[in-house]
Amino acid sequence: MQKGKRRKISLYPIWFVLPALTIFGIFFLYPIVTSFYYSMTVWNFDSAIFCGLENYRMFFSENELSSAVVHTLIYAFSTSMLKVIIAFFIAVFLCSRIRTKDFIRSAVFFPNLVSMMAVGLTFSYLMHPTKGLFNAVLTGLGFAPVDFLGDVRLALGSIIATDVWKGLSVSVVIYIAGIQSIDRNYYEAAEIDGASRGQCLRHITLPLVAPSQNTIIILSLIGGLRSFDLIWAMTSGGPGFATDVMASVIYKQYAYGFYGLSTAGNVIMLLLISVIAFPLQHILRRREEAIV
Amino acid sequence: MKKRIAGLVLSAAMAAGLLAGCGGAASSGGMSGEEGKDAEPETTGENTESASSDTAKKPYEGVTITLWGGTTEFNEGFQAVIERATEELGIKFETEINPGGTEGDNIIKTRCASGDLPDLSAYNSGSLLTALNPKEHFLDLTDEGFMQNVDDTFKSVVSQDGRVYGAPFPTTQGGCVIYWKPDYEELGLTVPTTWEDFVANCRKLKDAGKTPVELTCGDTWTTQVLFLGDNYNLISAEPEFAQNFTEGTAKFAETEAAVRSWNKYADIRDFYNADASAATYNDGITAMANGEATHWFMLTQVIPMMVAENPDCADKVGVFAIPGDDPDRCGLTVWEPGAWYVNRDSENKEACLAFLEFWLRKDNMDLYINTFGASGPSCVKGYTLPETVVPAIRVDMQQYFDAGKTIPALEFLTTIKGASCEQITTAAALGQISGAEAAKQYDDDCKKSAMQQGLNWN
Repeated sequence: MQKGKRRKISLYPIWFVLPALTIFGIFFLYPIVTSFYYSMTVWNFDSAIFCGLENYRMFFSENELSSAVVHTLIYAFSTSMLKVIIAFFIAVFLCSRIRTKDFIRSAVFFPNLVSMMAVGLTFSYLMHPTKGLFNAVLTGLGFAPVDFLGDVRLALGSIIATDVWKGLSVSVVIYIAGIQSIDRNYYEAAEIDGASRGQCLRHITLPLVAPSQNTIIILSLIGGLRSFDLIWAMTSGGPGFATDVMASVIYKQYAYGFYGLSTAGNVIMLLLISVIAFPLQHILRRREEAIV
Repeated sequence: MKKRIAGLVLSAAMAAGLLAGCGGAASSGGMSGEEGKDAEPETTGENTESASSDTAKKPYEGVTITLWGGTTEFNEGFQAVIERATEELGIKFETEINPGGTEGDNIIKTRCASGDLPDLSAYNSGSLLTALNPKEHFLDLTDEGFMQNVDDTFKSVVSQDGRVYGAPFPTTQGGCVIYWKPDYEELGLTVPTTWEDFVANCRKLKDAGKTPVELTCGDTWTTQVLFLGDNYNLISAEPEFAQNFTEGTAKFAETEAAVRSWNKYADIRDFYNADASAATYNDGITAMANGEATHWFMLTQVIPMMVAENPDCADKVGVFAIPGDDPDRCGLTVWEPGAWYVNRDSENKEACLAFLEFWLRKDNMDLYINTFGASGPSCVKGYTLPETVVPAIRVDMQQYFDAGKTIPALEFLTTIKGASCEQITTAAALGQISGAEAAKQYDDDCKKSAMQQGLNWN
């Protein structure tokens, strides 16, 4: 932007950055580097015994730990995908000419005002196999009760649904901002050319909302990869290990006193997020640039 | 970290307040300045009038003993006993609180290493005690008179190289089946002595429209009781298992009797309550105390609580040991109580020994149990529980002790316990994994603990 200008008049000496860099170094860079070392040891607060890659080997060979990696990926991708798709249609609906627009917009945003723990606890009561509201409704309608959080095959899905319910609002808000910033002229021109509403949506709204969409994808995916609180509140990773994700597994290993193993888990999580997030961001940005 | 700093600041503030408040008051307990330590000396029975008149009767007048223990040990029963000890023996007590858990373990290890142990420490028996290397730090109690009546099972979990170092807390607890007696009477069932009979009973109960087994996965630790409480059956079939397991040569998945323990979860899967996956420990207490379910695999520590909350159920709940395959070899898995250990270098050894003798005297154990309740028979031979204790403990559980059919839980026989045990037992209970898979998974889990303890298991 103002590169030329900045080069001529150097407003601030370079060492102004030092305080920030020091803090960043001490609290971010140093721990990251040491965590690479400690992830290769069996350590407690007195001593650390070097054990090579044993912790990593254990993490991937042991079912309860490696399944967490799979659950994390399922969780992150499905919540992200559902949010991107559902939020788009809600946002389109909320940008159309409807009378109760303002009220619905606030209603959609409401779940985001409640804390994650509260949402988790509330839904775990709603999903209670015998006393929960959902099952009361189901049995009232003549269906068999469903054990949402106790059934191994359903538990992760139930949490994903809750996460989508809670996380949708932010995505909707971002989409609405994106849709509203689209120039109305495009739609008018398309209408004159005889485009249907479906075609407008497909060929005008969707491409032009891409920057907002990319933001949502990145935010929800990274959020999903490191999610912990909702899962902890609803199932604590159970039943058994059916809903354990990276973050909950790392927390548990640390609580058990397996510090080395838990550090290794953190390193794996760091790498996993980096490996997914950086290329994704790159691809999405190129998509954005291609359109605009 | 924040908590730790806050702890340090608070304990420093407390220490400062104490110094300012007490002035020159003599305190025999050294101020070690450890976090979480209760700096408030708790002296009881400071009745100077009676003290001066009864001096002749009180052999340890003027002696102050320092005690270290957790809030569980220092319950109302304990308070009642030390008050009486001050009256009778003249010993005064100064207590320091063990914050518990790993933090407590680290404190006592540090105090052992720095030679700063209190006169008496209340601490776990079994593997945690072994980790302290008791012969280096504690007084050998093997030949003391008051230890002669203590049962051998308890002695084995406070011993090192054949010498005994700990004097027990009053009551043990068992991992067993708590059952609703009215259902048994109604259907004419008998207490099962084999697992087959137990499953048959469950089927009859189910056919009669009852909930045969209460499962409380909402508090995952509760699901462990069937597995851990089956240890009697495992060890009686494979007496060498614990030792070989510690050495890494025996595995659960490769030991038939051990896989049998895990398979028991699958055998009873049809009999659970409808809300098994979400019910909590408290739901279980309510269900059992009201006869909504017939069986519950639980530690007997729940009984005093259950009866206190629902006095009507006192005569209706009973307990029996988790059945094995041989009716003649049916016994109970027992969790031994914690113990008192005397500092080997204490200046008040005589007073400490006198207190322990006093502690294990029948009337004082009665006082303790009448005040606090009992979760199982005492590990003192020939001691019968007072009438205030419910029949489930006083009769049902006692019979296994009288017949000598008890074996300590596995955690008293080996230092290794899998950290994810409760998740694996939950998964097995809900049918997520089979018994064999659970056994294999538990082996892997134990390997992590072994590695952390520096044992070579490869």
